[in-house]
Amino acid sequence: MFHRILIANRGEIALRILRACRTLGIEAVVAYSEADRNSLPAQLADEAICIGPPDARRSYLSAPALISAAVVTGCDAIHPGYGFLSEDETFAEVVRAHDLAFIGPSPEVLDRFASKEGTRRLLGGLGLATIPGSQGMLRDDQHALDEAARIGYPVLIKPSAGGGGKGMRMVRTSRELESAIRVCRSEAKAAFGDDSLYLEKWLDDNRHVEVQVAVDRFGHGVHLGERDCSVQRRHQKILEEGPTPALEPAAREELAERAVRAVVSAGYENVGTLEFLVDADGNAYFIEINCRIQVEHPVTEMLSGIDMVALQIQIAAGEPLGLGQSDVRLEGHAIEFRINAEDPEHDFRPGAGLIERYHAPGGPNVRMDSHLYPGYEVPPYYDSLLGKLIVWGPDRATAIARGRAALEELVVDGVTTNVEIHRALLENEAFLEGRMTTNMLDRIGSAAFLAAAAR
Amino acid sequence: MSEADARPSEDREAGIDRQADHAAIARLTDELLPALIAKLGSTRLGELEVREGEWRVRLRRPYGTAPGEGRRSTDRPFRVPAGHESLGHSRSGAEAHRPARGAVAGSAHAADPSGNGSRPHDEPDRSIATSPAVGIFRPGARAASGTRIRAGDSLGTVDVLGVPQDVAAPVDGIVGATLVEAETAVEYGQELVRIEVIGSASASAGGEAR
Repeated sequence: MFHRILIANRGEIALRILRACRTLGIEAVVAYSEADRNSLPAQLADEAICIGPPDARRSYLSAPALISAAVVTGCDAIHPGYGFLSEDETFAEVVRAHDLAFIGPSPEVLDRFASKEGTRRLLGGLGLATIPGSQGMLRDDQHALDEAARIGYPVLIKPSAGGGGKGMRMVRTSRELESAIRVCRSEAKAAFGDDSLYLEKWLDDNRHVEVQVAVDRFGHGVHLGERDCSVQRRHQKILEEGPTPALEPAAREELAERAVRAVVSAGYENVGTLEFLVDADGNAYFIEINCRIQVEHPVTEMLSGIDMVALQIQIAAGEPLGLGQSDVRLEGHAIEFRINAEDPEHDFRPGAGLIERYHAPGGPNVRMDSHLYPGYEVPPYYDSLLGKLIVWGPDRATAIARGRAALEELVVDGVTTNVEIHRALLENEAFLEGRMTTNMLDRIGSAAFLAAAAR
Repeated sequence: MSEADARPSEDREAGIDRQADHAAIARLTDELLPALIAKLGSTRLGELEVREGEWRVRLRRPYGTAPGEGRRSTDRPFRVPAGHESLGHSRSGAEAHRPARGAVAGSAHAADPSGNGSRPHDEPDRSIATSPAVGIFRPGARAASGTRIRAGDSLGTVDVLGVPQDVAAPVDGIVGATLVEAETAVEYGQELVRIEVIGSASASAGGEAR
């Protein structure tokens, strides 16, 4: 097992990793940028070290700064969290070259799953249904038009690299495709340094269901059930729950088992998430794999009682999984609300500023993962996630009731948050009936959605 | 001034050095740079750095995701962060060499205009050279107490995984105390060398002489 881990991330996930380290008896060093000097993880760490200026390129995205910090503080492993360099095979390779462990899949595994299009073909050949899509990357506009015509509109333009909805557009006509493809290319180039795009058939009214897996170095893998992340705006998840209301228990079980069989056969390693689109008839199509710990991992933790970050660290340290499929018992229902510093009434404009008051809700089966404290200044440089409120109940109705009470109790003063959208969701008929689809919020528009809930 | 006396011989050597430099630059731009750009382009890394001989090439991703880069250095730590006990320096020992950190914590001071980690001190006649990176501090010859220095002079290096980065003097002045022992691990922005600032008139004259 590791002796000392450098946490190469910030915000709530840095705190989450710190807690896992404490539980495992591992010392934790937090690497922070100048903008995060007063952050909670930097304060609570065994040691904290400033790695650079606020600009992430020179701090959280700088391999020399992070690795040098790990070396001078005597760490033997680096935890990248999510985002930043968490799925970067070159970073993982450089980390290993400095005799440090990268907490995640090996560079070879990251490389194998680096291309979304390649992964789709790989896992498509191992028993996972995939959405009809373009043959390879789009070479030029004509190739895109030909492929879209073959697949049939509407189609989704997707970048091969990255995530978070950047470089992604749904188009319904060839004319829309022509103009959108240019925007997508430049967005993908700016965000990921790679402008390769491909097409996928767009399923109207689809649901986003993802399977959590964990595989050790010895090829032993389990699934930890699925999460439903259909509540999205512009391809960004805002609420996740498990189990999915979209599928019957037998269908969920079958999907999760097929997913873990496929990734074990493909040589995957460490924790990972396979994302699927589920159509109105309950058909699940594999879309991509995330080779990292995810924002919504607490949903699975609440259902399974398994510490996913600790498990991730143990696997990276070369330990065997130590649990079989029958040891994974998923109980009840869990919901996670992403609390973001953004204004739902103004197109989710991100905010920053001083947290004047902060109160985290409590009670049985209510969990708040957040780096906030009163007097904390939310820096404007990074993503807008302030924390995650997670609730559990023996059934979905109880979890929803607990969610309502917890959201009512939560206080975040000083910055505008998206809490209102969550409160509105818990009063929304489609959500209560488990009928949310990924396009619903965007179609209604968040302002109209809030107004409808207020009536 | 000793600097002026040294110039003629430096010039002769510089001619020979320059030819070698041109050859090295040509090689770096023809071979190394395209490879590095391709490497950077294929990853999410923000920065890559490679050293070849005496040359150091650093590539930084150009996209502007940080609107306020370098503008926010007014924050001072309210706790001393890195103790570096792993390197044989006790926590208290490291703090003892950094008395200025606590001393300035509560006082108002000017924001860093350069964004390079070298910030003017709040006292009008004093300034502090800070660390440009996380690494091991190696003071140079010009970091000796009493040395007359110009803004931009290298006072030593911080070794980042074998790649030395210059600790630049933020102002013209005279070196006061070195605040961190040689071969100590330092963090980004850590105060390293105190500088007594020379009066503004002589400082601007020095600038013209260059």
